[in-house]
Amino acid sequence: MIEPEVASRWRSQAAYDRIAAVLIGVIAILAAVFAVQQAHEGLAGTRAQVEGARLAADAAARIGASSTSFAAGLRAQQDALVVGITGTSRQIEALTAGHEPALAVGAAHVAASQRLAGAVAETLATTGGEPLDGYTAGLVNATNEEIVVIVEEQNRQVDLSIAAGEHQLVAVLGLSLVALAGVLAGIAAVLGRGKAGWLLLAIAWIVALVAAVPAVNWLV
Amino acid sequence: MGDGEGHRGVALLLGAVALLAAVVGARSTSLANDATDLWQSSVRTEVKRSAGALEDVRYVYQVELPVAVVVMGGRLKADELGTAAAGASGDVAATLAMETEIEKGVVTAIEGSAPLVTDPAYALPGGGVDLGQRLADERAENPDLATLDPDALAAEGDHLAGKGSSMTIALLPLGFAALFGAMAQPFWRRRRLLLGLATGAMGTGLAIALMVEALG
Repeated sequence: MIEPEVASRWRSQAAYDRIAAVLIGVIAILAAVFAVQQAHEGLAGTRAQVEGARLAADAAARIGASSTSFAAGLRAQQDALVVGITGTSRQIEALTAGHEPALAVGAAHVAASQRLAGAVAETLATTGGEPLDGYTAGLVNATNEEIVVIVEEQNRQVDLSIAAGEHQLVAVLGLSLVALAGVLAGIAAVLGRGKAGWLLLAIAWIVALVAAVPAVNWLV
Repeated sequence: MGDGEGHRGVALLLGAVALLAAVVGARSTSLANDATDLWQSSVRTEVKRSAGALEDVRYVYQVELPVAVVVMGGRLKADELGTAAAGASGDVAATLAMETEIEKGVVTAIEGSAPLVTDPAYALPGGGVDLGQRLADERAENPDLATLDPDALAAEGDHLAGKGSSMTIALLPLGFAALFGAMAQPFWRRRRLLLGLATGAMGTGLAIALMVEALG
């Protein structure tokens, strides 16, 4: 026959052990959730950061290539105009001076300017055309609208990376709390079923429950 | 199940769960690391590819095209002056002929440095030149740069990252295995059931990890 006092002590010890065991199990689950969250958010953040960097490089390349080809085309058209302006100037000067040969030279230059403008237009029409590869063609033919879309997507990726970084920090904070709860549970187990043991066990449970809030949030 | 046997069972199960969790964690970390390497390589490749393309665009449009336009203009001026000289007489014809020779001289002097207008492969019917063809040829001179594919590297990284992420899912049932295993010790009346649940959860975690490894 077991004395009532002894039986009560056993029951109390059993309750203590059960509460501690469940706490350890909950800590294991929370640690697993935070590990998964940390891995997922870490990868998502890195991916977004990488995509942002690539898009930034792509936008810069498109701006550089398209502005280079555009500026060169503009300059070529101006060169054609300059030939015509020079010819017209010679004609004006020849008329003033009554110099017939210069008038004829000026007229030839004006005619050449018109043909040159046509040749330049024909040349520029081939910019980014066949058989150029798609990537390079995309760079030289990039429009402002396309570049704006890329920059907006680049900004979105940066925002995603920042958000993932914040989630990752929450996971690290959660893991830290779980580790704290684990240590407290360990000390409580060492101290055993005394006042201090119960107190530490209670604090460990509170810490674990606080850590559970972001874990559940993330899962939901 | 005897008490000593039960204790041993709990200890073995918790040890196995911990070991499996460590293996899964290590494998997923390794996969994530490989994925990150590939992603970073895709950035480096993107920068290299765009730098190569920009340099070729700059060369064709800023170095070759301006000279080509001068040569094209000189040729057309010489042509127009020559045509005018043929239809003129006296001083006018002499001046036009002289100007024609001057323009031809200028063209001869600089066209050697303008392959864009001397190579018939680039000539167009209206007197222009084919910049698409020229830039394609310029790009083909450095095939290593022209064939860089950062998208393929990123896609490979995505694949490994997906595999690593999926691998970590196995940690969740392993967490439950630890919970049931830990509870099996004090809840001795339900020990058999809890150990069974823990073993099932551990098996689920192991199955997820193996499936991801084999199929991922």
